[in-house]
Amino acid sequence: MSGTDTHDDAVISRQVRRLESLLEEKGIVGGDTVDEVIDGFLAGASPVNGAKVTARAWTDPAYRERLLADGTAAVGELGFSSGGVQKQRLRVVENTAGTHNIIVCTLCSCYPLRLLGPSPGWYKSEAYRSRVVRDPRGVLADFGVTLPESVDITVWDSSAETRYMVLPRRPAGTDDLSEEELAGLVTRNGLIGTAVL
Amino acid sequence: MTDESARTGRFAPGAHVRTYLHDPPHHTRLPRYARGKRGVVVEPEGPAPLADVRAQGRDDAPVEMIYAVRFTARDLWGEGDHHVVLDLSESYLKEAE
Amino acid sequence: MARINDVGGMTGFGVIDTTDDAEPFHADWEARVFALQRALLVKKIFNLDEFRDAVETMPPQEYLAASYYERWFHAIRTLLERKGVIGEGALDDD
Repeated sequence: MSGTDTHDDAVISRQVRRLESLLEEKGIVGGDTVDEVIDGFLAGASPVNGAKVTARAWTDPAYRERLLADGTAAVGELGFSSGGVQKQRLRVVENTAGTHNIIVCTLCSCYPLRLLGPSPGWYKSEAYRSRVVRDPRGVLADFGVTLPESVDITVWDSSAETRYMVLPRRPAGTDDLSEEELAGLVTRNGLIGTAVL
Repeated sequence: MTDESARTGRFAPGAHVRTYLHDPPHHTRLPRYARGKRGVVVEPEGPAPLADVRAQGRDDAPVEMIYAVRFTARDLWGEGDHHVVLDLSESYLKEAE
Repeated sequence: MARINDVGGMTGFGVIDTTDDAEPFHADWEARVFALQRALLVKKIFNLDEFRDAVETMPPQEYLAASYYERWFHAIRTLLERKGVIGEGALDDD
């Protein structure tokens, strides 16, 4: 993404304020709506949600089955919505010893906001979107991840109203950890597929 | 398309399909790197209004089944050992020859 | 014909800046643009596919020079002007 200098920021923030006043005058978007949407979004969307789902799947085999079969319903059991102004479906894809999954949206920047929180800048960048479908091993190397040649990599390019989340592999030596402690090991990049936990 | 076929879809998991060499002047959700390529249906995802028509602000967009379709890197790029899955509307797909 | 957003498989965009960018918005106006987009979708002033179309049809040079939420603002403004919700140039300085 390109940067925005201070001058551009001043111009555009004036224009945005003007647009808000016009929409309020016309009764299209109420005065408090914008703040409510921002607050609601920041409160409801977090990678902590995806981490909780992951830890539950690691500790409850029946939940894992349900999560992989119907992600939308299974995250709903934990009180999470798959989100979206338009109806969205959640599909969880599981990493195993032989398979690794990575998420992208090459056409725009589709992302499971509710479960992963606001997307990182790099996820929205042309650099990531252009390259990961062509050279996922090279992209993983940029993130410091090297997988054995034998691991089959699948890149999920979200091009409709399904949102994808990776179910990472549970790290070795974590048998004694509680579900809550396990959730603490899960990172956002692990849920996108650009990290191995 | 009838409501019934939008619900069940034309392609079953495992079906061999090919994307159309589709280069429309309007919005579409078939990326150019996956046009005219063969793939295998992973699963139907459910019906949705066709984005190509809906993007024109029209209310009469046909409702079509969306499919997760898996492509090999070799078919997409001529090399590579990975796979790419895209979510594609039924009218982007035909039965593979 | 392919549009500038359709970048899968293109080269030349440089290295990925993998720095963890936890800040969702870099300025207050970005958050407000994000929220306006959602509010206008909910009000059905435009739909998500129209919004994507309006981002994609930015001239390529402008698209590449714009930040993420500048693209969003461009799209919102374009659609509202096209639909006659606001006048052409209504947001510009006098």
